[in-house]
Amino acid sequence: MPIEVDWCDYDVVVVGSGGAGSHAAQAAAATGARVLVVSKDPIGASDTKISEGLATVRESGSDDDSEEILSENLKMAGGDLPLNAITDAFAADSKEAYDIYRRQGLRPEIDDERDIPKPLPLPMGGHTRRRSVGHRNSGIAFGHANWNMIVQGEGIDYLEDSWFLDLVTDQAEAGTDKSVVGGIIYHAALGRLIAVKTSSVVIASGGLSTLYFPKTDTMRGNTGDSYAIAARAGADLVDMEQVQFLPFCLASPPSYEGLLVGEPVTASYLGVLRDKNGKVILDGVFLRTRADCSSAIMRAVEDGRGSPNGGAYLDMTANKRPPRSGPYFMRFVESALPSAYKVARQAMSKAAGNCEEPWEVRPSAHYMMGGIRADEHGASVAGDGDGSAGAGLAGLFTAGQAMGGVFGANRLGSTSLTEGAVFGRRAGEAAAHLARKSATRDTREEAFTPMIENIRRRFGQKGDSAAAVLKLELQKAAWINIGPVRTADRIAEMERVLSDLDAKLDDVAVPGYAEWNQAFIEFEELRNLIASARGVCLASRERDGSLGGHVRMDGKQISAFSKPYSTVVSHSPGGGWRVRRVNRDRTPLKQIIAFKIQDAKRKAAVKWLRMLPAGMQDRALEKKYLAVMGAGGTAKEVMPGGADAAVGEATQA
Amino acid sequence: MKVEIVTRRDGEQEIVAYDYVPRDDSEKPMILDVLLQAQANGMPDLAFRYGCRARNCGVCTVDINGRPRIACRARIKEGDRISPMATLPALSDLVVRRDGVARQMRGRLATAGQGNDLNVSAPDDYHALTGCIECYACLHECPMHARNFDGGLPDEQAVEDRPDPAEGYTSGNPFSLLKLQRIRIDPLTSEAGKSSALDNAIDLGLDACVGCKGCKCGVGIDLIGKVIWPMLEAAGDRLAEKG
Ligand SMILES: Cc1cc2nc3c(=O)[nH]c(=O)nc-3n(C[C@H](O)[C@H](O)[C@H](O)COP(=O)(O)OP(=O)(O)OC[C@H]3O[C@@H](n4cnc5c(N)ncnc54)[C@H](O)[C@@H]3O)c2cc1C
Ligand code: SF4
Ligand code: SF4
Ligand code: FES
Repeated sequence: MPIEVDWCDYDVVVVGSGGAGSHAAQAAAATGARVLVVSKDPIGASDTKISEGLATVRESGSDDDSEEILSENLKMAGGDLPLNAITDAFAADSKEAYDIYRRQGLRPEIDDERDIPKPLPLPMGGHTRRRSVGHRNSGIAFGHANWNMIVQGEGIDYLEDSWFLDLVTDQAEAGTDKSVVGGIIYHAALGRLIAVKTSSVVIASGGLSTLYFPKTDTMRGNTGDSYAIAARAGADLVDMEQVQFLPFCLASPPSYEGLLVGEPVTASYLGVLRDKNGKVILDGVFLRTRADCSSAIMRAVEDGRGSPNGGAYLDMTANKRPPRSGPYFMRFVESALPSAYKVARQAMSKAAGNCEEPWEVRPSAHYMMGGIRADEHGASVAGDGDGSAGAGLAGLFTAGQAMGGVFGANRLGSTSLTEGAVFGRRAGEAAAHLARKSATRDTREEAFTPMIENIRRRFGQKGDSAAAVLKLELQKAAWINIGPVRTADRIAEMERVLSDLDAKLDDVAVPGYAEWNQAFIEFEELRNLIASARGVCLASRERDGSLGGHVRMDGKQISAFSKPYSTVVSHSPGGGWRVRRVNRDRTPLKQIIAFKIQDAKRKAAVKWLRMLPAGMQDRALEKKYLAVMGAGGTAKEVMPGGADAAVGEATQA
Repeated sequence: MKVEIVTRRDGEQEIVAYDYVPRDDSEKPMILDVLLQAQANGMPDLAFRYGCRARNCGVCTVDINGRPRIACRARIKEGDRISPMATLPALSDLVVRRDGVARQMRGRLATAGQGNDLNVSAPDDYHALTGCIECYACLHECPMHARNFDGGLPDEQAVEDRPDPAEGYTSGNPFSLLKLQRIRIDPLTSEAGKSSALDNAIDLGLDACVGCKGCKCGVGIDLIGKVIWPMLEAAGDRLAEKG
C-alpha cells in the first residue's frame, strides 16, 4: 500500500526547532499567524542545544562598544562579503533578541556594577570588544528556552520526527513567477506524508557539516537540507565556498573524533600552534580568527609536518608553568568554554587535560557561512549586487545557519546564537506579514501531485546500493577534496564523485514500510548532501584564491584591498547548476587600514609579552588575569556528561 | 566483541548478533560506536537516534540489558544486549516515540507575568536543573509514568488500549516535574506562575512520588533532593487531601 498523505494548511511553516526556528515561530505567532514548526529531531535538539552557549551581546563588556563598531567588526572579519544591511540589523537587534531568550528562562550571570550580563574575560578571537556572554550548562540552557517557546504552544503547532522534504512552488496567476505554495513532509513516527499548504516557509534547518563526518563537531542532522531544498525550488545560494572549520577539535580517540576542545581564545596569552617538529606555526593564537588557525594547521599537514592523525599541536604549557599566573590560566580555561574543556579532559591524557602537554588538534567542520541568499528580513533575494526580494523566490524566508550573507568569509565566535534570535525573529515577522497579504489565495492541489508521486515511488524502490554506505563514501571524498584545503584538481575530482553518486540514487534500496523507514531517511539526506556539495564545489571553483574559510592551495590570498565579490550558486531543472559573481562594497580604505593597524598592535603586544624574562612575564600576566577575571573563585558548573555522572549509576538517593 | 541488537521492522522484532571490530587494540567502544559501525557494515537500514556524540543533545538513549544508557557516552562490553528504551513505544529498531512526554507540557509552561528586570541572577539549583538534557533515562521504573500504560510498559499493552502520544501523556515523570520545579525556582516567575506550576505537578500525578523509592537521572542531577522533595513539601496538605 503506498504511503498515505494528510493535508493541512497554515499561515507560516517553520522548518527547524533550533534557535532560529524557535524565534521565527514565536515571532510569527505573536502577530496572530497560525504557525506549524516541523523538526526532524526532537524539539530543541539541535546545534543550538549542543553549542558552547556563548552569545554576542553588544556593550556587555565595555561602554565603548556600539552598533557601528559591532557591525563594522562583523563585516571586516567577513572579508567585506556580508551585506551592510544585514550586519547593521545584527548589531541593532543583538541585545533585544538576546532578551527574548531571557524571557524564556535563560539566566546568565549578571555584572551587578554595570547591571548587564557578564561577558568572558577576554574578547573571543577576532572580536574588537569583549561581548561574548557565557552560560552555565552551555547550549543546553538555550535548548530549554527554545523548547519552552515551541512546546508551550501559544499559536504554534509542531511536528517532530518529521522531515521537511521539499518546497512546492506554483504560479499564483498565469504569467507570474513561481512562488511558494507549500511543502511535503515525511512524518516518520506516524509513517505518513503530510502536504502542507502555506504561502510562507521559513527555512531554519541548519547547516551541512555532516558532509565531513566524522570530522565535525555538529549534530548529525546537518545534512545540507536547507540549501538543497531552497536550491531545488529555484532560490539563490550565496558564499557556498565558505565552510568554517574550527581549528581546535580532536583527531582521536575514535569515540571523540571531531569534537570541539577549544577556541582561539582558549590559548590565552601564551598559547601557540606547533608542527610535529615543535616549530611554532602560529603565535598570538588567542587573537586570531578561526580561519587563521585552521589554515595554519592544514598548511603544515599538506607540507608533511602534521601530527600523526593529520593535525598539529596546540601548546598552552607556557601559560600553565608560571607560578603566579599559571593557576589563573587554568581557571580561565575551565570557565571560558566549560563543555569543550570537559571533552578535552575526558578524551586526552591527564597531563594534557592539565595543559602540561600540548593537545593534538585538527580542524572540524563547524558552521556554514554561506547559505540561502536573503535580505535583512530573511527573505530570499536574487539579482545583481545585494539582490532584491522582488527577484527572489516569493514566500521563502530563512534564518540561522541556513541563511547566507551574514558572516561572509568568517564567522566570529559567539555570533551564531545571536544570529538565530535576530534573524529568526525578523524572518518570522516577515513571513507572517506575507501570509496576511496572501490570505485569500487559492492553492491548487495539482501543484503538489508530481512531487507526492515521486516520493511515493521511493518507498519500495529496488536496488543494490545502501544510502548509509554511499553517505560514508561522500563524506570521505568531501574532506579530501572540498575540506579545509582545496585545489582546482580536487574540486574537479569531487564533482566527478558527485556525478557518480547522483547516478546511483536510483539504485538505492528502500524497503516499502512507512513507519520510521531509516533507509528512506538516509536516502533523502544523501540527496541533500549531494546537492549542497554541488554548491560548495561550484563556488569553490569560482573563487580561485584563498579567503576566510576557503583555502586554495593553488591560488593566492585574496587581499582585503581588492574589489570584494560573493559567489552565487543556483539550480534550475532545465539548466542544471550555475555559478556567478556579485559585487560587494569594500569598506573605505581608511577604515581597513585603521583596522589592520589596530590588529597588528594587539598582536605585537602579545609578542612583546612572550619575550619578557620569566619572572616579569609571570607578574605581568598575573596582573592581566586579575584585571579581567577578578580574584574570585572558579565558576561552578553542572556538567551533563561529566565523568562523575554515568547514566543511571552515579545518582544520589 | 560480540553484542546483540534488538531490531524491529514494520512491527516484527528480532535479535541480531553483531561482532564489533575495535579500531585499535585499546579501544573501549561506546554503544554508539557499535551502532555506527553496524550501520556502515552490513546493517545499513539500522534505525537509531543520535545527534551530538557528546552527551549534550539527549536523543541517543537506549537500553543496555534492560537499563537506560546514553549511547554516545556509555561503554559497551562483550555480550551486552542493546534494545530500545522500554519506557516509550518502539517505532523501528532502537527508535522510540518520544513526543508524548513533551506534549503533556503544552500549556503548562507559562510563568504568568514574569518580572521586568531581566538582570537577575538565578540560584545554583536553577542551573542544576537546567543541566537536564531530556534523555528520558529517568522514566525507567517511574511509577507515575507507568500509570500511562496501566502500570506497566507501553509495548505490553493491547494496541487498542494504548494512549495516543500526540495527545500528550496524562501522567507525568521526573522530567516533567523537573521542568515545573525549574519554573518554581526561577527568580523571575511570579507568585501566580509558581503556584500554577505546582498545580500542574499535582495534576500530572505528584502523589505517586509519596513513598516512591525515587528516580535516577541520566546525567547525575539530584532529582530527589532538588525536584521531588521540594515539590512534595510545597504540596503537602493538598496531596493528603487528594490521597
Ligand atoms: C559544538 C558546537 C558549539 C557551538 N558553540 C557556539 C557558541 O558558543 N556560540 C555561538 O554563537 N554558536 C555556537 N555554535 C554554532 C551554533 O550553535 C549554530 O550555528 C546555531 O545554533 C545554529 O542554529 P540554527 O537554529 O540555525 O540551527 P540548529 O540549531 O542546528 O537547528 C536546526 C533544526 O533544523 C531541524 N532540521 C534540519 N533539517 C530538517 C528537515 N529537513 N526537516 C525538518 N527539520 C529539519 C533540526 O532537527 C533542528 O531542529 C556551536 C556549534 C557547535 C556544533
Ligand atoms: S519519585 Fe515520583 S517522579 Fe520519581 S520515580 Fe517516583 S513517582 Fe516517578
Ligand atoms: S532529568 Fe536527567 S534523566 Fe531525566 S530527562 Fe533530564 S537529564 Fe535525562
Ligand atoms: S548523541 Fe547527543 S547525547 Fe548522545
